[in-house]
Amino acid sequence: MKNLFKNQLWAIVLLVFAFSCNDNGGDEPLGKYDSGVLIMNEGNFGTNDGEVYHYDPATGTLTHDIFELENSRPFAGLLEDMVLEQDRLYLVANTGKVEIVNPGDFKSIGAVINDLDQPRSLATASSKLFISDYGPYNASYATPDSYIAVVSGLDGGTVKKKIEVSNKPEDLFANGKFVWVAGSEEGKLEIIDADTETVTKTIDVEGKPVQFFQLGSEVWVYSVDPDKVSFLSLNLASQSVKEIKSFDVANATGRIAIGEDNKLYLVTSSGWPDYQDAVAVVSIADNTVDTDWTTGSGFYGIGYDQTKQEIYLTNSAGFQGNGLVTVFKKDGTEVKEMEVGRGPSGFVFR
Amino acid sequence: MILLLLVFSVLGFEPMQDTVSLEQVEVYAPALDRFAHGQKVTNLDSKVLEAYSARSLGDMLQEKSPVFVRQYGAGMLASPSFRGTSAGHTAIFWNGLPINSPSLGQSDLSILPVEAIDRVQLQFGSAGALFGNEAIGGSIHLGSKTDFGKGFEGKLSQTIGSFGLFNTSVSGAFSSKKFSSKTRLFRRIAENDFGYQDLSQPGTPEVREDHAEVEQVGLVQDLAWNLSSKSQVKAAFWWNKAEREIQPVMGSNTTDLQSDESIRAVVDYFRFGKKSVWNLKTGLVRDKMIFNESLNQTRQFFLASDWDFEAGENWKFKAGARATFVKGDLSTYSETDQRFEFYQSAAWKTSEDLSFSFNLRQFAYPGDVVPFLPGIGADWRFLNKEKQELLLKASLGKGFKVPTLNDRFWSPGGNPDLLPEESINGEIGLHWLKKGNFSWEQSLTYYRMEVDNWIIWLPQGSVWSPENIRKVQNQGLEFQGNAGWKLGSWDWELGLSYTFSEALDLTTEPSNPQQLPYTPEHQANGNLSAEFKGFGLNLSSFFVGPRAIGTGNARVMDAFQIWNAGLTFSKLTWGKVQFPLSFQVLNLLDKDYQVLYLRAMPGRSYQLNLTIHL
Repeated sequence: MKNLFKNQLWAIVLLVFAFSCNDNGGDEPLGKYDSGVLIMNEGNFGTNDGEVYHYDPATGTLTHDIFELENSRPFAGLLEDMVLEQDRLYLVANTGKVEIVNPGDFKSIGAVINDLDQPRSLATASSKLFISDYGPYNASYATPDSYIAVVSGLDGGTVKKKIEVSNKPEDLFANGKFVWVAGSEEGKLEIIDADTETVTKTIDVEGKPVQFFQLGSEVWVYSVDPDKVSFLSLNLASQSVKEIKSFDVANATGRIAIGEDNKLYLVTSSGWPDYQDAVAVVSIADNTVDTDWTTGSGFYGIGYDQTKQEIYLTNSAGFQGNGLVTVFKKDGTEVKEMEVGRGPSGFVFR
Repeated sequence: MILLLLVFSVLGFEPMQDTVSLEQVEVYAPALDRFAHGQKVTNLDSKVLEAYSARSLGDMLQEKSPVFVRQYGAGMLASPSFRGTSAGHTAIFWNGLPINSPSLGQSDLSILPVEAIDRVQLQFGSAGALFGNEAIGGSIHLGSKTDFGKGFEGKLSQTIGSFGLFNTSVSGAFSSKKFSSKTRLFRRIAENDFGYQDLSQPGTPEVREDHAEVEQVGLVQDLAWNLSSKSQVKAAFWWNKAEREIQPVMGSNTTDLQSDESIRAVVDYFRFGKKSVWNLKTGLVRDKMIFNESLNQTRQFFLASDWDFEAGENWKFKAGARATFVKGDLSTYSETDQRFEFYQSAAWKTSEDLSFSFNLRQFAYPGDVVPFLPGIGADWRFLNKEKQELLLKASLGKGFKVPTLNDRFWSPGGNPDLLPEESINGEIGLHWLKKGNFSWEQSLTYYRMEVDNWIIWLPQGSVWSPENIRKVQNQGLEFQGNAGWKLGSWDWELGLSYTFSEALDLTTEPSNPQQLPYTPEHQANGNLSAEFKGFGLNLSSFFVGPRAIGTGNARVMDAFQIWNAGLTFSKLTWGKVQFPLSFQVLNLLDKDYQVLYLRAMPGRSYQLNLTIHL
């Protein structure tokens, strides 16, 4: 009886909680930027004109510089990454700060402005921020002192600890209290315990791991080599690599968009002096590769709109000024082209 | 007619500038004054140079000329833009020696202190035939002035100012009728710890700049000997060193350090004939730049000779050749380069009021030959009354720029297949001169220019590489006016200048061309000064219009206007020693502004100068 009551009580609590969540979700008005596409414009080195544009595919409206519009001050940094977690949008500037905004109205909530060098990405775990940072350059432009910066609380503040990791950490992925680090330069996955703020495990992998992504229920790491790309599925429980799938795609830049049907869109570039860019499509399910889904030059970032099933490809236009975004259907036909900010490099589809 | 080549006293830089106090210049008028018919040329007179003696050429041009100067902060990189072109499209000469860096193809005007030079002339428009490489948007001519027969002269000048400014200069000169020597030493320290609103931080707090300290020292030595009544040797040497903390762009926390050290030396031999002068010129420019720990060094050696002569009453000619040997030891490459050029100029005076000039140059370097570069111009004084003159000027010229050493050889990315940049410029100008109690000089110039094969560095993946990609069409209107009058015991002077400059980028979006980045369409400056019994007052202002920070429909920065004011007293004496005093307030209204995006500039500052003339 007692137990039954206890169970019922739990059921009631859960029910109330569920309703209240539901109510809250339903009542809270959708913010201006809670739908549509956020376009990340990195900005130009030495100009610090990184900014976010908002595109509403329903109306075709493109809003410029929404950080400045909503906060009456420029972003003033090179925008490296946008991370939407814990109802907050983290804008990571590799010039040395993280700005935190409300994703609905883009109003500033907080920031991490001191003690960072070249932040790359961010993840949240145990109510803390974990920020991957290349660390300072040394005299020969190497970064031997890379770290993950830890900030208590989700709204910014001061860096309380720097956890030393392998050189040039890129993307982060949080699973419970564990934060996975893609250690790009030395080919390592490092796992940090968010509570003890220490590296608890290091896994050596092939190539340069740059990006975590989820495909169905699996978590993968995208890793690039000069002449091939690899996808490593992770066993999160045992903290190990489950399976590796490699494809002959040369010169991948590390930019990736996750499409439907286990299809991945990868930006490749031969670089100087031939300078031929392309988008390669890899199907993880049936192991097929199309290395020139589209070709050109100036390709910089890529995104995939899951709801409209459209591919967004950016062109940096040589960083001379505004860049371009071209929207394609899955079959490669062009839907739209628009001028966006400088150095467009990625998207958040809301 | 007497050839304007006599040893001691030839008047003036520009024949039409009678209202401006004319100064004696030595030896002979440079090509700029003799073969630049129809071109817009302005002089910054010695009064202006004196007022800016504790500041840089960049500050002076920004505030006193139609040139737009892209300033990266206080005491930081300052690069000139003539008629909507880039810094690399400006040839800069010091005593006839081209001093732009051969690796960068440009100069930093903030490390060319005004106290190192005695005269500054600006020439606008493409004049490749007359001045050679890089004279696309215009050229800057700096020089020393040589005096003879003045005995001993000495000067000690100390300026102190806001934001930790200490500027000291000492000069001593001695000249007899045969020999002339002038030595000047200067040192400038500026902490540049000015306050500014940091737009990159939440709440945009007022912060102090803590990484923009500049220290600059220099030594200039000028020498001249009159070997005989028919020959003269002149030599000049300039050592300049600047150590700078590079002011970071707002939002960045970089702590870059830059050291620039230059040695420039030139020796001229002149041989005067009855109606001719022969000049042999040799020179050396060595630039050493250390950015953080990377060392970049270039050396240039010049050997040139030309012959100036008059034929009959109405024809003047000049013919010459120059060889340039360049060695670059940069952080990523070591290369040598040679340049050979031949040039001819002719000036024909058809009557008292109408004259023409024709200029021609052939230029060769290992990458290419620029075979035939013409320029033509005319001055027509169509009204010549006792108190008024109206002059029509028209010219047509071409310009070119050889790809720089970095453009060709930088590793990785350098592109050895680059073509020279080229331009064509046409202009027409009206000059109106009025003498009398209320005198003025006004000029209005319309120009049209096209620059093609403009070299831009573009990213090819992670490597940046230059390409001949940009094509630009420029046109504009330049007004400059000066007026002077007397009111009781007060002498008044008013100067006004306005420039409209359109520079359309035909590359990015040819169907809807936009103005080039950082090229304001509108620019103006003005100056009002009054003098009364040794007291001087002046109020000046400069305006820079809106400008985009990138190509396409990129962000546009707001226009700004800055006011400066000054007070001078020149009658303080003790025996024969004079102690001119001056006090200046820069950015009088404490305007928060940036010339380039997110590059903070100082607010109101004060400078007090005491000079002792011995």
